[in-house]
Amino acid sequence: MVKQFEGRRWTLPAQVYAAPLELYPGLPLGLAPLEHELQRLHYRRSDRADRPGTYQVAGEHLEVSLRPARFADETRPAQRLSVTLGGAKGIESLRSAAGSDIPVLRLEPLLIGSIFPIHGEDRIVVSPDEVPALLPLALKAVEDRKFDTHHGIDPIAMLRAAWVNMRAGQIEQGGSTLTQQLVRSYFLSSRQTFSRKLREAVMALALDAHFTKADLMNAYINEIFLGQDGDRAIHGFGLASQFYFGKPLSELDLAEVSLLVAIVRGPSYYDPRRHPERALARRNLVLRQMAEQGVIAAADAAAAAKRPLGVTRRPAGAYYPAYLDFVRRTLRRDYREQDLTEAGLRIYTSLEPRAQDEAERALEHELTRLDRQHKRAKAPLEGAVVLTSPQSGDVIAIVGGRDVGYDGFDRALDAHRSMGSLVKPFIYLTALESGRYNATTVVQDAPVDVKLTGDRHWTPENFTHEVYGPVPVVRALAESLNLATVGVGLDLGLPKVAATLKRFGLPQEPALVPAMLLGAVDVTPIEAAQLFNGLANGGFRNPLRAVRAVISADGRPLKAFPLEVTQVASPEVMYQLDRMLVLVMDHGTGRSARALLPPDLVVAGKSGTSSEYRDSWFAGFSGGHLAVVWVGYDDDEPTGLTGSAGALPVWARIMGGLGTSSWDPPIPDSVVQMQVEYPTGLRAAPGCASDIVSVAVPAGVSVPAHPGCGFPESTAATSLLQRAGQWVRSLGH
Amino acid sequence: MRIGTLPAALAAAALLSACTLFRAPPPQSPAPGTPGGTPAGTAQPAQPAPPTPSALTPVPPAQPSTPTPPKQFHLGPAASALVTQAHQQAASGDTVQATATLERALRIEPDNPLVWIELGRVRLAENNPAQADAMARKALSLASGDAAAQSSAWRLIADSLRARGNNGGAAEADRRAASLAPR
Repeated sequence: MVKQFEGRRWTLPAQVYAAPLELYPGLPLGLAPLEHELQRLHYRRSDRADRPGTYQVAGEHLEVSLRPARFADETRPAQRLSVTLGGAKGIESLRSAAGSDIPVLRLEPLLIGSIFPIHGEDRIVVSPDEVPALLPLALKAVEDRKFDTHHGIDPIAMLRAAWVNMRAGQIEQGGSTLTQQLVRSYFLSSRQTFSRKLREAVMALALDAHFTKADLMNAYINEIFLGQDGDRAIHGFGLASQFYFGKPLSELDLAEVSLLVAIVRGPSYYDPRRHPERALARRNLVLRQMAEQGVIAAADAAAAAKRPLGVTRRPAGAYYPAYLDFVRRTLRRDYREQDLTEAGLRIYTSLEPRAQDEAERALEHELTRLDRQHKRAKAPLEGAVVLTSPQSGDVIAIVGGRDVGYDGFDRALDAHRSMGSLVKPFIYLTALESGRYNATTVVQDAPVDVKLTGDRHWTPENFTHEVYGPVPVVRALAESLNLATVGVGLDLGLPKVAATLKRFGLPQEPALVPAMLLGAVDVTPIEAAQLFNGLANGGFRNPLRAVRAVISADGRPLKAFPLEVTQVASPEVMYQLDRMLVLVMDHGTGRSARALLPPDLVVAGKSGTSSEYRDSWFAGFSGGHLAVVWVGYDDDEPTGLTGSAGALPVWARIMGGLGTSSWDPPIPDSVVQMQVEYPTGLRAAPGCASDIVSVAVPAGVSVPAHPGCGFPESTAATSLLQRAGQWVRSLGH
Repeated sequence: MRIGTLPAALAAAALLSACTLFRAPPPQSPAPGTPGGTPAGTAQPAQPAPPTPSALTPVPPAQPSTPTPPKQFHLGPAASALVTQAHQQAASGDTVQATATLERALRIEPDNPLVWIELGRVRLAENNPAQADAMARKALSLASGDAAAQSSAWRLIADSLRARGNNGGAAEADRRAASLAPR
């Protein structure tokens, strides 16, 4: 038994961290958001930032006492940081305690959860130097006054408890020493019987004989059960401190330490979130007992008793179940379940808590609004969001459904839904690559009748059930015209379009049926994000990644997931396509987003609606962010929502809240910008035609001009119908 | 290239960065595309076929509005400090750390071709010429108007081709690099 205890290696669930916030001069972060980020890490504002985990504000100047921090690639001791802000410009300078300029510095990464076994123990192990001196004193005062002198059991306390229990006819008092509690927690079930009590006493005596009091106290602090969070059992004071207060154990004050000690007696009965009055009463009892025994001054106890409980509203960790789900799946490719739940790994991810909050809020806000508009008796609308940084391929936020704290069906990873019109950019990309199309090429939006096997025919329609006739490519894409797109897709050939999707990262072979051209391809939101990330990253595909690095318990880097890019389309073709996706936002199905976006922000995107309005999609990007939003019902019932009505407002609210930069890649040398008349695709100039848009076309391409726009007479246009006829005749070449 | 030759690679990278910072770009810019003789089996981008206006009314071609104005990319102070740190990490043989540090720089300046070139140099030092090539092409796609940065990217492409034994392609890439920013 002693051997077993000596060989004690607590099973240590992997700890998962968010991306650290990089601070540097020029970062457009004002005082309020910076304070918010510090408070997210549970830094406290104080008059003197003299203890790690505190900061002080004087005008546009912040003094921060940074905690020691462990990053994937570096361990940093506690240090002081002075931040000077320059109003709207954000951070002006960063200085060290010695006054030297710091070019760039990370705040410590936020702990976002851990990977613990199903129905298992979660804990953060602390060493004695991380334990506030008050904690062992408080534990002894309340649970075991003679801990320092007894031999593992306290016969007098046991007799007293037995007397009370006998009189009551049931077991009411413990009388167990800390050592006995440790034995019970570690070796035995918690059923209270007299024979078990006897075994417990014998084992406690044995432990006491073999270990120092300091070892036993440290074991107790790391072992004891202090709360339950769904399937997750909160063990040890290190995790309990994060779970209840969101900060490290070493930073707890007297009132907070006393609350944790109060909880020991009954983590469920004294749950400070569910039964705050009980918890408060017992915490104050703990404070009184400590004062009575001279552990603390009576005045300090009285002052602490006036403090509120101070627990965070939600348990820290397990905030982001959808994101953790993605992390877990990534790691399961390389690690056994046991390594993840027991080996004490540290896992550094790309989650950006600010972006995650923005995405969660936007989804909930818009779905609540839509539910009010589209009353349905059954379940409410559901949704999912994936947010990435396109260039690095970092997945910075995942929302798996409306109930963000619920660790259940993760729609972002598991909802396989028809991608609908999200497929269209890939069809037009294929068209541009063929060299036979550009943004101004006129195509026919005309009835389609494809003969399938047997007597069946495929006769798709536009969403409006109208037929638009000859239209330029830019309009066909911006307004998501089905018939025109099917015509182009059939001209290119299904295998060509499928190959483009595969190149951009579609995991499966799409079925080569004509309906594929209208998005009869099932994807999950995260797969849609992978596909669109290539469009947002200028034709470079990078595997989306949530995990940056895995570090062993003793600090060795075990695995890195470095950035990898593959060019899957030329910059020239990508620029032309992305320019058209910008027009989706200005002229097409993305128009209504403008109200929620900063007026000068340039963004590009595409709506998607699957058949009978079962799925409402929007995928789009700025210079720094890609967001994919899906909205629908879990039972696959029609929602009556197009991509523009359902997913787009969510998308726009996220993009509007992120403070993102404009889409603004350099124009490739062999591509030119051209102003054309939107309905006809004719080259035009302001003043000589209405509804002028700017498209990108290959340099040297001939584009018919609008009559009277001052271009040479020979460029005068033939009619739209003639141009469409030319395209139709060119089909089949 | 083996790990042992890393300091040389970094010296080259540093030199190229220095060129980028101090040399005025010549006015001409290259036609995009890939150098001849790239080995089969490496992922190559689909280059757009020359446009064929086919049966459209014959009209004079659209004139390029104005050529991309010359510009020079610089690293901001934060990215610059991280690149310096990455050089030190790589020089001591720790390419994993160097990569992590350069990715921090990339998150701060994701559209700066100089950061992509640095990342590609470390990939090359890790004997991963395919990724070095891809990073160089990403840099090239961002470097419009900056002949010095384009030249650095072409040199990285040349080195990655050489590392894969394609000396012909490497010579062609070097020629492009030299025409942009003669050493």
